[in-house]
Amino acid sequence: MASLDPTTGMRRSQLYRRHINNKAVFKNTGYDFVVSHYDNGNDQHTELDQARSMAICDLSTLPRTGFKGAGARSWAENQGIKIPDSANRSIVQPDGCLVATLSDQELLILSDILAKSHQVTALGEQSTNDHLENDTQTYLLPRGDSHCWLAVTGNQAAEMFSKVCGVDLRPHKFALGDIAQTSVAKTNAVVIRQDLGQILSYYILCDISAAEFLWDCLLDAMQEYAGSPVGISALEALVSA
Amino acid sequence: MKNRLPPPYGSLINREKMVQFEFESKAYQGFHGDSVASALTANNQTLLSRSFKYHRPRGVLTMAGQDANTMVQLPSNPNALADRELISDGLKVTGQNYSGTLEKDRGQWLGLFSRFLPVGFYYKAFFKPRGIWEKWAPLIRKKAGLGVINQQLVPDYYDKQYKFFDVVVIGGGPAGMQAALESAVPSCEVLLVDENQSLGGSLNYSRFDVEGARGKNQLDKLLNAINDKPNISVMTNAVCNGWFADNWLPIITKKRLYKVRAKQTIMCTGSLEQPAIFHNNDLPGIMMSSAAQRLVHLYGVRPGSQAVIVTGNNDGYGTALDLDDAGVKINAIVDLREDPNYDDIAKAAVDRGIRVETGTTVYAAKHKGANRVSSVDIRKIVSQGICAEQGETITCDLLCMSVGYTPTYQLACQAGGQLTYDDQSAMFSLRNCPESLQLAGSVNSLWSLDAVLMEAKRAATIATNALGLTQVQVADRVTEDTVSPNHPWPIFAHPKGKEFIDFDEDLTIADIINATADGYEHIQLVKRYSTCGMGPSQGRHSALAAARLVAAATNRTVAETGVTTARPPFSAEQLGHSAGRSFYPARRSNMHYRHIEAGAEMLQAGAWYRPAFYRSKGKDSTACIDAEVSNVRNNVGLVDVSTLGGIEVRGADASEFLNRFYTFGFLKQPVGKARYALLTNEAGVVIDDGVACRFGNNHYYVTATTGGVDRVYQNMLKWNAQWRLDVDLANVTSAYCGVNIAGPNARAVLQKVCSGVDLSSEAFPYMGVRVGNIGDIPARLIRVGFVGELGYEIHVPQQYGEALWDALMVAGNDYHIQPFGIEAQRILRLEKGHIIIGQDTDAMSNPNEVQMGWAVSQNKPFFVGGRTIAELEKKPGLRGLVGFVIDDTKAPLPRESHLVVEDQRMTGRVTSCNFSPTLGKAIGLAYVPPEKTTVGTMIEIKSTGGVRVLAKVVELPFYDPENLRQEL
Repeated sequence: MASLDPTTGMRRSQLYRRHINNKAVFKNTGYDFVVSHYDNGNDQHTELDQARSMAICDLSTLPRTGFKGAGARSWAENQGIKIPDSANRSIVQPDGCLVATLSDQELLILSDILAKSHQVTALGEQSTNDHLENDTQTYLLPRGDSHCWLAVTGNQAAEMFSKVCGVDLRPHKFALGDIAQTSVAKTNAVVIRQDLGQILSYYILCDISAAEFLWDCLLDAMQEYAGSPVGISALEALVSA
Repeated sequence: MKNRLPPPYGSLINREKMVQFEFESKAYQGFHGDSVASALTANNQTLLSRSFKYHRPRGVLTMAGQDANTMVQLPSNPNALADRELISDGLKVTGQNYSGTLEKDRGQWLGLFSRFLPVGFYYKAFFKPRGIWEKWAPLIRKKAGLGVINQQLVPDYYDKQYKFFDVVVIGGGPAGMQAALESAVPSCEVLLVDENQSLGGSLNYSRFDVEGARGKNQLDKLLNAINDKPNISVMTNAVCNGWFADNWLPIITKKRLYKVRAKQTIMCTGSLEQPAIFHNNDLPGIMMSSAAQRLVHLYGVRPGSQAVIVTGNNDGYGTALDLDDAGVKINAIVDLREDPNYDDIAKAAVDRGIRVETGTTVYAAKHKGANRVSSVDIRKIVSQGICAEQGETITCDLLCMSVGYTPTYQLACQAGGQLTYDDQSAMFSLRNCPESLQLAGSVNSLWSLDAVLMEAKRAATIATNALGLTQVQVADRVTEDTVSPNHPWPIFAHPKGKEFIDFDEDLTIADIINATADGYEHIQLVKRYSTCGMGPSQGRHSALAAARLVAAATNRTVAETGVTTARPPFSAEQLGHSAGRSFYPARRSNMHYRHIEAGAEMLQAGAWYRPAFYRSKGKDSTACIDAEVSNVRNNVGLVDVSTLGGIEVRGADASEFLNRFYTFGFLKQPVGKARYALLTNEAGVVIDDGVACRFGNNHYYVTATTGGVDRVYQNMLKWNAQWRLDVDLANVTSAYCGVNIAGPNARAVLQKVCSGVDLSSEAFPYMGVRVGNIGDIPARLIRVGFVGELGYEIHVPQQYGEALWDALMVAGNDYHIQPFGIEAQRILRLEKGHIIIGQDTDAMSNPNEVQMGWAVSQNKPFFVGGRTIAELEKKPGLRGLVGFVIDDTKAPLPRESHLVVEDQRMTGRVTSCNFSPTLGKAIGLAYVPPEKTTVGTMIEIKSTGGVRVLAKVVELPFYDPENLRQEL
């Protein structure tokens, strides 16, 4: 598979140079470039095994958005979005995107791994239009650019997190869909438990300008568990397995 | 290894694996599992190191890593504990704190002068005549300190990890093991922590029955049960070094600090055996009874060939049995008790025909030139601390002390537990621990194994009940009828002194008593005056004796006297545990690497990396910066302003909100225009600035300073919560990156790539804001003039940053566009007379002081700080920020914070100063007294090297006062 050049795109992950240095092979999701896999002599089954044990993946160019405001919740419900009952919980929507409540008045919406959900981009436009027309008190948040989006996968992920985060993220304490808005390696982060297939997985969203810092910290922390970066193909395989 | 005992002695060593190591450049052998101290003792090397003050010979004292006697030098670190550090092949160990050789230390002469080194010596000797300390200091500093730091060492990797448990049991002796087992009810996650190589504590070495079998049997039983409990995690070689609020426990292993959160803590930290106090009680060969038992049972090492045991309890008899079994000749048991109440173990020792002297003590230990005890002088006790005139000398090369214990109270006291002393039992005990902390074992003043195990079960039940995991009736507290193991006064003064209370600091009975005589009667003052308890072992073996002596000297009870505060850490920890892997967040804009590729020298502003300037071949930094300034003034430059704060203010009341929040008026600000936004706090102090860009009736995009945006946003949230306006606030700083394209050719360059915006001066004037595209990139464009030239700030979604930079650099290629860094930007803004908040302002600066009165609206009813500013305006000012120029081109350039002076008086300070390549002279900003603010006034600045430089106050701005260039 020939790699695409991420610099031919307008939007570039803060981490793309690190991926190139790690011999990444990029592909286009239909939105922007994302690492398919790393061409380091291993076949893709090896990356899948890696993802099952301990891996990190950059999803920062996948679609995501957010809304806040006094009317955000009701507006979103009117769009047919299923909203979690309480703050700091997330729910996967029928089309695969994930809706997370960061507070009673704030929602974060993440695309599915395969980026097949069109809801994310559609909702962004819809909210702006609706607000302008009807003052819905729903304000769009540029989550696609304010936060980088990483996935940490593998059965040792919780153990690895305990080296960088003071919240108990072990699977029997931090349920599927739970959210922790906390500090990871002294960086403000939103951590969401979102298993991929049967594999324990977490999404981390942190300030995009700190993406490289956090990436390096997580790689350092997972070295003990032989963790390494994987491309999105490995995550897709986890989901479809 | 002449002192090595055969199996089954030596539970910690592996005789199959021989280890070669060096001590004092001499080769030794030991077994895998041996500590340095045990291996050396096996080779009959009892001298390990030298004491801190008098360079006295020191050897094994506790064999538990609890004392400073065994501190040795390793290649990688000083002050390693020889009774903790394991030997390894090729390890090179030396003693510490000696001159010449360890055996014949030239520093020993200091001991001869001990009478001239009284307690509080430093305080008494060096405060007068004035200046005497400076003369003594080099000598004392040369003598002080233990060990040598290897500065060439490449540090190992140390890190930290969080752990979470329902119950943490600290101490893996019989009480801890039993408590862990009992706590391990279904769904309860239990951690059992022990500082030793293996679990078991005293079960590994103490004698619990006449046959000496019960300890091992009980240990096996407990170990097997623990192994069968998957919900018990065990950490050995791990020390819990403190207790912090809500059961936050720092647990240290070799290279990792675990930050453990426990819902319930059970402390089974055991007790610390205490020394008897008599003349020369510190000689090598004199050790705690438990140390001798550890050597025998854990390491299979015979600690001596002929032993005397001084005891105040029945435990000393158990030691005698152990040593006798190991082939050590017991020359006498010297029992301080006049009428001992023997248990079965003591009776067994007596039955073996071991000589016992009751009502007797060791009065002095002797040595025959060698660095080891050779005999003891035993004497009848006449009264408390007083011995008969005559005694008997008994030969021995080993003296074991068993006169009592203190609970290992340090962690429990940190948790709020109170230490009390019972005169009847002569023991400390703990009470009033928090509800989430239980005690069990000898730390809880229980001594018989049966009682210890029962109390451990009780503590665990309380813990699991509190967690809601069990609902079990809690038994009454266990009581036992065993006699206290503590002798009330094992302290015997000697005319020649050297009866050591504190081995770390070489403090004797006289030192403690003299401290009280000097007026330092409180135990905390005694500690600070005498340094008792301030050494590496932190008073573990001196606190009880010191408390007793101070109590007696001040006519108080020991309970009234108490002990000093036991602060964390419990034991010495390596710097790596604190200084190891730490997190220093770093922020980079999306175009960061374009700066690196262009040769930028980066600097960190807070967490952000920013280009200071771009290195050009053959130019120094000043020349590079000057060229960047010149390119902006005469052509076009590009600077990354992504670090600027950005806050969305949206909602029906957005204008009203800004009108209240900032000093200017915003109600009538047209859509499509930007307005300068100056922020003051309630005290009228300038705390930030930016521009408020109105993109819609109900939508402002407000910029803030790089370092101030978090505070601005926090303040906005606070005020919005109070005002309850219909406004939504969002900090979008990182969501946008930005550049400022500035210079007379800025428009021409921008026109090549910008669509959707008419860039003409008429359609898009100064302070206008527009939404358009740079290529395919959606952008917000703001016409501002921070650097004083035609310029556009362009803000785009963060991940487009690099593409934006590329597009503008390509578009500007025909114009020789050059990037410029923040050093050039600082000069450019200074030439334009713009202040930088935080550099040109301080915690007292109000708008009028800094010539920003124009940015304060006089026509609105309220804004934050407005009332204070109005009051300040009624009073004469105290200072003013002025611009100055220095015409003398040879004068040393003043720097920020250089003083403005008048004669010898400081009257102000410089806040900014630089050489202006545009104006060809030094320019700057400075606070001066009101009378010096008049244009044309000369001020004097104390510049680099103390050189006084004359400067002239001038009108601001220095450059383009008509603002023609920025409004092109």
